[in-house]
Amino acid sequence: MDALLEQIINGLMMGSIYVLVALGMVLIYGVMQVVNFAHGVLFTVGGYLAYFFYTRLFPSYPLAVLLSMGSLGIIGFALERGVFRPLAGNLRNQVIASLGLILAIENLVVAIWGPNALQFRVSATDVLVPVGELRFSVQHLAIIGITLAMVAALGVFLKYTRFGTAIRATSQSREAAMVVGIPVERVHWSSFAIGTALAALGGALIGPLFLVFPQMGDAPLVKGLAAILLGGMGSVPGAVAGGMILGVVESVSTLFLPTDYRDSIAFVVMVAILLVRPQGLFGRRMRGED
Amino acid sequence: MARIAPWLALLVLLTALYAMPHFAAGQPYVLHLLILSMLYAIPAVGLNLMLGYVGLVSLGHMAFAGFGAYVAAVLMVDVKIGFWSALALATLASGAAGAAIGVVCLRFRSHFFMIVTLAFGLMLYSVMNNWDSVTRGAAGFAGIPRPAPIAVGGESFPFGPLDHFYLLVLSAAVLVFALQRLVVHSDFGRILAAIRQDERLARARGVNALLYKTAVFALGSAIAGFGGVLQVSFLRVAAPASFSLAESINMVLIVIVGGAGTLSGPALGALLFVGLPEYLRAAQEWRLVVFGVLLVAITLFAPRGLAGVAADLWRRISSRRAQAAS
Repeated sequence: MDALLEQIINGLMMGSIYVLVALGMVLIYGVMQVVNFAHGVLFTVGGYLAYFFYTRLFPSYPLAVLLSMGSLGIIGFALERGVFRPLAGNLRNQVIASLGLILAIENLVVAIWGPNALQFRVSATDVLVPVGELRFSVQHLAIIGITLAMVAALGVFLKYTRFGTAIRATSQSREAAMVVGIPVERVHWSSFAIGTALAALGGALIGPLFLVFPQMGDAPLVKGLAAILLGGMGSVPGAVAGGMILGVVESVSTLFLPTDYRDSIAFVVMVAILLVRPQGLFGRRMRGED
Repeated sequence: MARIAPWLALLVLLTALYAMPHFAAGQPYVLHLLILSMLYAIPAVGLNLMLGYVGLVSLGHMAFAGFGAYVAAVLMVDVKIGFWSALALATLASGAAGAAIGVVCLRFRSHFFMIVTLAFGLMLYSVMNNWDSVTRGAAGFAGIPRPAPIAVGGESFPFGPLDHFYLLVLSAAVLVFALQRLVVHSDFGRILAAIRQDERLARARGVNALLYKTAVFALGSAIAGFGGVLQVSFLRVAAPASFSLAESINMVLIVIVGGAGTLSGPALGALLFVGLPEYLRAAQEWRLVVFGVLLVAITLFAPRGLAGVAADLWRRISSRRAQAAS
């Protein structure tokens, strides 16, 4: 029983990380209809920047996380302006540019910080909190809490603010949004910046628990994609549910499956969902999917 | 005159390539780079048929190369059959795997197709990496032989020496590029082009689009598997890392940078991918940074790739010559 509870909490923690990645990609896909395959390396950069700010600038972990998110927001803005907007309307080239960004950014990280994993210790990983019979680090619980808070904040922002409404309107119909005077370009770059900042948050939060290394974003990218498909492409609540379900299923599966194949669960789930229920668990059929 | 010029150029190029071991006798480095380029170019031809001629962006292409490579490795080392039969069987097996997986992937379009091919690629990678009893796991499958010597004009011709293996890979590459040209200029190739240009129209004209797309997916995978067998025979070891997601992405980059949907694109892309980093002589990671930035720049400024740039240059030069002549 304890083993099950432990895996569920671990699963919720990993699921939270997937949710942060998935939310960003859903937001970007929603307004721009492009899957940003470079989201995983931006997650990595978020982890490294938090490490950099924490070890070199200010020894305050929360501040380092915020600075990392801010920096990635600016990088996201620059990428939208410099790469994705000029390629608007050419879906294949947008995807290929994002693949080029993976190669460039991941190797830039190796060039700056080296190929080896770095220790990123903060006090929150050492303090343990009892949960029933078990003990979890503050960091575990903080990840789940911060993610839920981000989800709530994003939900309120999208639903109740003027600009959030503009984002939703743009993702429903770009042309109609332009007709009613929504600044569609601003919606694009700000969605991109918010999305990359969320990826940075994920990288900055997971860094201290595991290590910071150049490929740390690969698995979250794939899991984030799986979460989006599971929840329904373009659905924000779907991405949240998809990420959490995937994290828990993966984690609980280690109780009765060899851990080597844990990562394959996400792929099996992806393909199965697409074959049986292509619109995902919560999604409606979207335009342009044929 | 204009008609034979390209064929003449091709003939000169082939002669030069086949004579290369004589020029580069003291420089195994050059042969080594050329072999590596061709080992990238061969699977790239398979992806070019899918991506360039039909518009199918597969993010799991190298997993099929790995499938072929591991099938051949098991056949040669465990079942102990010869290289040539193993090559043929592994190529067929990769094609069959491509058909089976392709039929699932092709139910999806654009992003969904890419994500599903990515998922299948990672699944195959996971099997190569984890099925220790068959694939020898993450440590790699060592002890893969080079082809047994063949008799040429009464003399034994072993494939152990670098220059001999170079000739083998060169001949394989020539074969694959010839096949690419045959396919593109066949009725099959014309139907593929019709599907790329307007699939609905092609279907309305009675083309079974799914069948043709599955066929090209299988053909592309078979070519990838063929290249994969040559690769592991060259390296003498099959390692899962050679068939990872990163390598599949590199494959897409090679095809795009070279020029998707052009016959010479895969060769140009692979040559640049292997040669440019060597030329830059910088640390490995900076080379890849440059290549990544170059790729983004190509999508922004030269969407038809190097082959497109070359074709434009050629046209400009020949029209200027025509003007000067008149």
